[in-house]
Amino acid sequence: MASEEVLRADAVVIGSGAGGAPVAARLAEAGLDVVVLEAGERFSSADFTGRAGNLLPRLMRASVAADSGMEVYAGRGLGGSTLVNDALCWRPPPDVLAGWREEHGLGGLTEAAFAPFVDAVWRDVHAAPTGPENLNRNARQLALGAARLGWAGEAMPRNVRGCANLGLCNLGCPTNAKQSMLLTYLPRAKNAGARIRTGVRAERVETAAGAVRSVRARGPAGRLRVEAPLVCLAAGVLETPALLLRSGLETGVGRDLQLHSSLHVTARFPEPVHGYYGPTMAYAVSEFSDVNGRSGPGFMIENVSTAPVTTAGALPGFGPEHARMMGLLPHLARSLVVLRDRTRGRVDLDGDGEARIHYEPVAEDLARLRLGLAAIARAYFAAGASEVWLPVNGMAPLTGEADLATVDDVPLDPRAFSLLYAVHLFGGASMSGRGDGFCDEAGRARGVQGLHVVDASSLPGNTGVNPQVTIMANALRIADAVLAARGATA
Amino acid sequence: MTRPEPTAALERALAPMHRRAFLRGVAAASAAGLVPLGCRDPELGPPADRSLRVLSPRAYATLNAAAARLLGPPAEVLIQTRRVDPAARADDWLGETPALGAVLGQGLLALELGVWPLLPKLRPFTTLAGPAQDAVLASCMGSRLDLKRDLFKGVKSVAALAFYGEPASHRAIGYPGPFGTARDVAAAMAWSPDP
Ligand SMILES: Cc1cc2nc3c(=O)[nH]c(=O)nc-3n(C[C@H](O)[C@H](O)[C@H](O)COP(=O)(O)OP(=O)(O)OC[C@H]3O[C@@H](n4cnc5c(N)ncnc54)[C@H](O)[C@@H]3O)c2cc1C
Ligand code: SF4
Repeated sequence: MASEEVLRADAVVIGSGAGGAPVAARLAEAGLDVVVLEAGERFSSADFTGRAGNLLPRLMRASVAADSGMEVYAGRGLGGSTLVNDALCWRPPPDVLAGWREEHGLGGLTEAAFAPFVDAVWRDVHAAPTGPENLNRNARQLALGAARLGWAGEAMPRNVRGCANLGLCNLGCPTNAKQSMLLTYLPRAKNAGARIRTGVRAERVETAAGAVRSVRARGPAGRLRVEAPLVCLAAGVLETPALLLRSGLETGVGRDLQLHSSLHVTARFPEPVHGYYGPTMAYAVSEFSDVNGRSGPGFMIENVSTAPVTTAGALPGFGPEHARMMGLLPHLARSLVVLRDRTRGRVDLDGDGEARIHYEPVAEDLARLRLGLAAIARAYFAAGASEVWLPVNGMAPLTGEADLATVDDVPLDPRAFSLLYAVHLFGGASMSGRGDGFCDEAGRARGVQGLHVVDASSLPGNTGVNPQVTIMANALRIADAVLAARGATA
Repeated sequence: MTRPEPTAALERALAPMHRRAFLRGVAAASAAGLVPLGCRDPELGPPADRSLRVLSPRAYATLNAAAARLLGPPAEVLIQTRRVDPAARADDWLGETPALGAVLGQGLLALELGVWPLLPKLRPFTTLAGPAQDAVLASCMGSRLDLKRDLFKGVKSVAALAFYGEPASHRAIGYPGPFGTARDVAAAMAWSPDP
């Protein structure tokens, strides 16, 4: 039998993204001997060459809901999804926290309780308002349309320092402007002594007598076991629930998966837009949101890059019409609907023990997505667009406001869309104060001492805004609870 | 966010098709000689000196043939003259994620060898004239069968990503490349206030 490397530590953190990295830093800085296991590679800015074909297979993983074709994406690599995200930062909306308190019995999740952690994250990742120097023409077209229609909207804060407007945020920032986990919490964890292992995939958590004992993993050098009395799960929503299921921990696991479903709308403008340069995303229309005090149908509209690979995959149809649309690339602007879904899905294991998602959007969500498509088209026409393509295979482009009525014909069928996807994932091992979730309000697994869920899997529902700050703040909150509990028992 | 691509696209391409027994059936039937094989277009297959990591030569040719029709005339020229070879790029990606290779291979074989009533053809996809290939692709895109729509989306997605990921494709779409000059970037950021 091949030999197995064995490490001992005070704590193991599985996954190094928005949930894992802050926890690793906090625990290590508090003096714990921490091991971080990360399945992906370690990158540096020198690796971020902008070459999509080489980088994305290494930086991204995906899953598809077999029941609906919904596509779900997450980052992989040291830093997790923060390596490839768009750097947009929102504080957790107070009304979302209120919903979690009321619906999930999480009475301690008050705005006041979250505030110090949110403030810490905001500072630590250098979140700051986005100024006009970082609003590209792509963002401005959306903003212009919204302004002409009298809709609420704003430039979104981003966690960047000295952004050079290269538009490569989703391929890893080559200038180190984006303050991902790779540049913020992970160096802090390392400086405080954390041992960070990359290319190491945790396969199972081992428990005995109601307590966590060790993590079994596989890495480039073979098998690895880390023995520790404290395990923090942060492998992301595509993997944390699967890891638990593989470990035989099933109660409350896999349920309550929730997403922000997204669809792209593309518009042609008479003047060049060059939407592939400048921040990949920067401006949001919040008019239709149902968070932060708004009572709209529950979606945001956010502008998004027109990098060719991503644009091409999302456009409807094929053949000469596809070539025509792509031939107009410099004149294209794009935005997406980011829906606060009401659908609930689940995660289970396939025959190979890998995560499998089930997510069949409810009719109400499909209808709200359709409203979102119509709203983006309206905004673009208000801004002066001459053609608008909805992401619906077989549908002709809209050529003016008179065509907006045809949006009502968009079928409420997830497979009718050229691309229906999500990158904001929530739940699967969520907190509940009512005893029905996998973990309690402090992220503690019920019935397994020393096991905590610290990533987006622990959140009981979606946030209605881009979630990374909420995930990081929640992770710091749980880390403090872990340290407080240790202090109490020391 | 901007939509991520290659592995993701491949996984997306393949996952819905993954457990479809009939795809395996098509592959098995073709191996057993139950479906017409015909001659594939050798110009779209792998170059003689290329050793494939994952795709079979037939799947390779099918992907290139489908990409040429899906992406329209400029792409067709670039693919047929081998200035861009999407199947080569896809084969590289699949080498990095071998679990997906079999699934893409099955999907492409279904497209190549599937016949009526599954697909509106009686011959392999790569032996059809362009308009007949378009009819097959259109039947997948507009089908009421989830499987056929998944097949369309998956192959189109892989084709688009593999093609536009190649610098040689950029000129036709007016894209200056991932690192624009200072002037390119300035043009994207310039804005005069709304009058
Ligand atoms: C393309 C994209 C753009 C986005 N844009 C924004 C944005 O602009 N603003 C925003 O707020 N949010 C954005 N998000 C969402 C945000 O980045 C994620 O919600 C957040 O990072 C999730 O945190 P997490 O810790 O749950 O998972 P992740 O950050 O995904 O980290 C999970 C990590 O665990 C690792 N892992 C998985 N399995 C294992 C295993 N078995 N063993 C060891 N390691 C494992 C993974 O490789 C990964 O590195 C975006 C996401 C994506 C994908
Ligand atoms: S736009 Fe800014 S943050 Fe994004 S990759 Fe370029 S420099 Fe980095």
